[in-house]
Amino acid sequence: MSGRSRTVSRGAVALIVLALAYGIVAEAGGPILPRRIWVGAHYIEDVELIPRYASLSEEAVFLVRSGILQGGITVSGLRVLGGFLLGALVGVTLGGTMAWATRFGYLLEPWVVLFRFTPALALLPLYVLWFGLGEASKILLIATGVAIVTLHGAFEGVRGIPRVYLDSAASLGAPRHAVLRGIVLPAALPHVLSSFRIAGALAWVTIVVAELIKPTMPSLGYLLALSGAYPRIPTLVVALATIGVLVLISDALAVAAYQRATGWMRRRNG
Amino acid sequence: MGKLRLRIQNLGYSYTGRRPTRALDGVALDVFDNEFLALVGPVGCGKTTFIRIVAGLLAPTQGTVVWDGVPIRTPSPERGYVFQEDAVFPWMTVRDNLEFGLLAKRLDTAARATVTRALVRLIGLEGYETAYPRELSAGMSKMVEVARVLATDPSILLLDEPFASLDAQTRARLQGELATLWEQRRKTVLLVTHDVEEAIHLADRIIVFSSRPGRVKAEVAVDLPRPRTLELRLSPAFSAIKRAVWAELGLTGGPAP
Repeated sequence: MSGRSRTVSRGAVALIVLALAYGIVAEAGGPILPRRIWVGAHYIEDVELIPRYASLSEEAVFLVRSGILQGGITVSGLRVLGGFLLGALVGVTLGGTMAWATRFGYLLEPWVVLFRFTPALALLPLYVLWFGLGEASKILLIATGVAIVTLHGAFEGVRGIPRVYLDSAASLGAPRHAVLRGIVLPAALPHVLSSFRIAGALAWVTIVVAELIKPTMPSLGYLLALSGAYPRIPTLVVALATIGVLVLISDALAVAAYQRATGWMRRRNG
Repeated sequence: MGKLRLRIQNLGYSYTGRRPTRALDGVALDVFDNEFLALVGPVGCGKTTFIRIVAGLLAPTQGTVVWDGVPIRTPSPERGYVFQEDAVFPWMTVRDNLEFGLLAKRLDTAARATVTRALVRLIGLEGYETAYPRELSAGMSKMVEVARVLATDPSILLLDEPFASLDAQTRARLQGELATLWEQRRKTVLLVTHDVEEAIHLADRIIVFSSRPGRVKAEVAVDLPRPRTLELRLSPAFSAIKRAVWAELGLTGGPAP
């Protein structure tokens, strides 16, 4: 408990220091940085390359009053959640089965290695053609990334179970389902949950790309793309910070789940 | 001697692979009811291979292993196995560990609680029922493993160097506890060890294995009175047996004492 609150307070200090550093750079940079920049074929007038806090708060107030930010958080958040759940379900099932049924594993392993580092952007056109311009292609794009990461987590988790636990369960007369529930699941869980942590962050990265598919408001991905095209740098920074905070929250949730599930790994204090 | 329980004939085992190894060759051995049999031998003589075959975790490449008239093919709670490694499930509390084998036997909650309570008392871990293995000392954890195997009331206990990873003092203490335990609840026991004193303290009969491939080289009877205490280890009778076993292991190369 004390360890967790220490982690939280350290995180808060780190964020405050970073925010202060940004404020100083923005204020100092204001008078020096050019207000007029050359992009491609024309000049853009009156830009703030590093927006000051005043401009950011003004922009944030506008985005909240108009409901754009909340709408974006809800819509993108639900897509991330849906994609994550679907991907984790498929990934954990496949990964666990691959490690458990070795022959099936050998068949699938090269394909997993092949697709491990395929970026979401590379799959985007294919998914649009396969699944259309609606929600399906966005959610499936996230699910694909999540499935590959969690598949590895479950595979390593199950593969890494010490032989002696399985032998011991067998010689105690445990039937297959008892071995699965009593040994395989709890022993593999820490690995699976650490992969959830990575997969959660990846899902937020992927949503930005996925929302370039027939972009519609409200969505955080489109907000980013649009403010970049305009360009409205304060909007861009607010959108980035919002996604950052959402990644932090989902990461904290994953860490909490991990700590809850692995209480047996830590020694009691004293 | 009691009724014949375990009959091993012409048992052989070869590991295949990049460096094929003949671990056991022509082992013949009879184990009788309620007998405590110890098996000693040099490191790498196939002791663990032997006991894994008896447990049913490994299939012999030659010969037969027959338990109560039936050839052994798979592991069974009839033959309780205490492993050399730490096999207590770290994600389960002491109680859940003890009950794991009982769940497979489909015992109801009340019956499981009765067995568990008796076992916890037997190994002196009252108050630790809800503790996780990490919170126990290595010696306590090993006793939980022994108790977990006893929970399903096996006909034979297979002990594969159970105390090898413990420090010398804890090991001596647990050997004493195991001797007492066995004297209270007689059972057929097959103990594999490289610790000669452990074998003499606990066993009725000691089988000495030759180095690889493992064969039965000699048999030494341990006719020491029971109950056996740690004190017994200092007696001349104990030393005489130890000398005999050492001689068979080839450990007494120096001048005769």
